[in-house]
Amino acid sequence: MQLEKGRLSIACVCMVLGFMLVIQFKSTEDIRASQPSQRVEELAARLHKAEVENKELEAENRDLRGMSGDAKSEKITDDIMMISGMTPLEGPGVIVTIDDSAKKAKMENDPNLYLVHDEDILKVVNELRAAGAEALSINGQRLTANSEIRCAGPTISVNNVRSAPPFEIRAIGDKDNLVNAINMRGGVADSLKVWGINLTIQPLDNVWIPAYKATVKYKLATTSSKEEETK
Amino acid sequence: MIYAVVGLLIGGTLGFLVPFGIPAGYSSLFSVALMACMDSVFGGIKAACSGTFDDKIFISGFFTNSLMAAFLVYVGDRLGIDLYYVALLAFGLRIFNNLGFIRQHLLKKH
Repeated sequence: MQLEKGRLSIACVCMVLGFMLVIQFKSTEDIRASQPSQRVEELAARLHKAEVENKELEAENRDLRGMSGDAKSEKITDDIMMISGMTPLEGPGVIVTIDDSAKKAKMENDPNLYLVHDEDILKVVNELRAAGAEALSINGQRLTANSEIRCAGPTISVNNVRSAPPFEIRAIGDKDNLVNAINMRGGVADSLKVWGINLTIQPLDNVWIPAYKATVKYKLATTSSKEEETK
Repeated sequence: MIYAVVGLLIGGTLGFLVPFGIPAGYSSLFSVALMACMDSVFGGIKAACSGTFDDKIFISGFFTNSLMAAFLVYVGDRLGIDLYYVALLAFGLRIFNNLGFIRQHLLKKH
């Protein structure tokens, strides 16, 4: 009888222990699972919103293009679309990838020197444009006449969209010219290599460049009929 | 032994069936209580090995230890003393001590 009672008590205690173990396990899982899933939901919602917006804009775009009846105005529209960055483009060109330095920062040096900055991207873009690049994009953001390349904390903002390294700059243009412009002695690649910043340039026969995805709005500027500034 | 395993299984399934968990604020208290329970169980096994098992001591130890541990951690939290880590360390050490004893006992027996 004594033994039986002892066993029963052990069973009871083990039951409580198992119960607690499982409850603890469940709550730990909940805590662990809740954060990433929230993030996923948030991202999914944003993606959905962006897609809806994109569809609306595409429909608007198609309507506008349908209105211009004859072939000539069609051609003009096409040209304007190409210049303004409203259509995706493809052609021969290069893909330049820039990433933060893998070198360990020396104590006496500013650690900032080992990171990619907006200025570095600007220099590369400038060099590519000077070498005759016809269309450019940075991490999937098409560079238009109104695009900015700006420091945004640890990220870089292009078309008001932030992205983090590695940066992928795509350019359509004469492959050899573009490669030479970047690899020029004493040029951009040389000055970045000093700090170990990884810059690779890859010439390709077909580079695809996305269209500018947002809308262009002119709130303040209006067209002027004056050809010259009058004082 | 069978009783213990059956008890564990029943408790586990109950835990799965119960719809609520521990609120995040009380999870540290609960984990300390859990450590105390595990300590008691290993202590009980050790006592059983050395033949000094007493179920009254075992059961009272099981519940008072866990409740007291949670209470102490709660009080420590209010006073700004991190008794949480102290309790975890103390119980952890004891669990490993007891485990070592049980292992030695089993090795000697066979």
